[in-house]
Amino acid sequence: MDNSTNSTNSSSSNSTYENWQAQQPPKSFWTNLTLPILYLTILIGSLYTFSTLYRKRQVNKAAKLESWFPPHQARDVYLSLLHLDPSEASEGADGEKKLSKVPDSVLKAALMRRALEDIQRIMQLRTSKPALQNLLQRGSVGDELWQRLLRAEKEMEEEVKDVVNEANAFAPNWGQTIFQSANEMHQNDLLRKSIADIQEKLAADKTWWEGRRAGMQAELLQDLDTDGKASETGQKKTGGSDDDAVLVESGGPAQDQGGAGAKKNTKGKKGGGA
Amino acid sequence: MDSVEVFHQLPLTIDPSTKALASTDPSLAAEIEEVNKLHRALLSLDTPNQVPPPPAPVNPKRSVQIGKMRETGNASYKKGAYADAIKMYDLAIRMASERPTWEAAGLVREELGALYNNRAQANMGLQAWADGAVDAETSVEMKRLGNVKAWWRRGQCLKEMGRLEEAVDWVDTGLEWERAGPEKNGLGELEALARELRKALGRD
Repeated sequence: MDNSTNSTNSSSSNSTYENWQAQQPPKSFWTNLTLPILYLTILIGSLYTFSTLYRKRQVNKAAKLESWFPPHQARDVYLSLLHLDPSEASEGADGEKKLSKVPDSVLKAALMRRALEDIQRIMQLRTSKPALQNLLQRGSVGDELWQRLLRAEKEMEEEVKDVVNEANAFAPNWGQTIFQSANEMHQNDLLRKSIADIQEKLAADKTWWEGRRAGMQAELLQDLDTDGKASETGQKKTGGSDDDAVLVESGGPAQDQGGAGAKKNTKGKKGGGA
Repeated sequence: MDSVEVFHQLPLTIDPSTKALASTDPSLAAEIEEVNKLHRALLSLDTPNQVPPPPAPVNPKRSVQIGKMRETGNASYKKGAYADAIKMYDLAIRMASERPTWEAAGLVREELGALYNNRAQANMGLQAWADGAVDAETSVEMKRLGNVKAWWRRGQCLKEMGRLEEAVDWVDTGLEWERAGPEKNGLGELEALARELRKALGRD
């Protein structure tokens, strides 16, 4: 070692060149490249694994997000019907003839129910999107919720396309009108529900009114019986016909609670009107 | 929701003769019932392919029948046979609300609005104030604008029942709506009722 260092120090570069040549015989071109190639493979390989792992994790995370809507029951019914083995499903009645296939009309009904559910979901998405966007901008909700909404939106798009295709398979051009029909079904449902809600009150109102009227009649009779001892208000009010008496009397008790406030209100409003 | 390709197979059975669906899963009962109802409605269709037609042009048969019943009811009302009129309106209302659900909802709204309004009037003729009030409210729910009569009828019914506070609120709301509506000039009656109610309340 010492020797060689000495020599390099003292002698010219000529000797080092000879040394080098003596220790390392010339390698082929490809062996020289192994090191950089190895380096590159390791580099690219690690980058690739990292990116795939990362992406996979992201996808998993997205998949783990709770879906926006509950399970689509109408869709499940429809698809179950499509995949149903009719002879098996209709085995309830043994003696009767079995169905060779699920009747088209049943499938159509199920498809319409599916379209109806879709319409309701689309409407829900449409109404909640701007609100959620607003909240997101203010930072009131996390990005996760927004991602869920976007995913639900994409799924609904696919779902609508699927329904249109199915409808077209049943009848030409039905796909163009099935969602119009479904929309009307939705509106009609709402309409009927609001009617039912209002008409529901009728029974209670009616019993209340019967009771009230009976009470008032009894009161009136009492008043007539004890004409002389009638209260002052009674005298004031029985000015017009019998009908009117019932009318005005009926207003009496109800006003007791909020009489004063109402007076103020009416005065204020009258002033405004005049 | 699951991905587009996935669905849950549900335990369904079909009755071979009636073709009604059934399921062993009780949580599905409501949905199945709806499908069956829709199925029965579809079967009564006489369009090609038995597919519901687009909602725009409606089968006029039912509209004509409803119109006829309403006319009969109106005639009875004019003669003073309020009970008969109510019966007729009842039939017409049932007929209108049994329209297949895929038909235009706007039409149902219009028909029912007018019918409930007429029934409210007939109920008022019978002095059945509770019935009248509820019917008029339904009519308003169907048609808020350009329905001054219904607003007035419920106000009047409430007044007759002695629910003056409620009546004032109701009439005021009605005035607010109708001032923006197409019947701006027909508000006299409603305004008179409002004044009357205010007077009654103020005197109390």
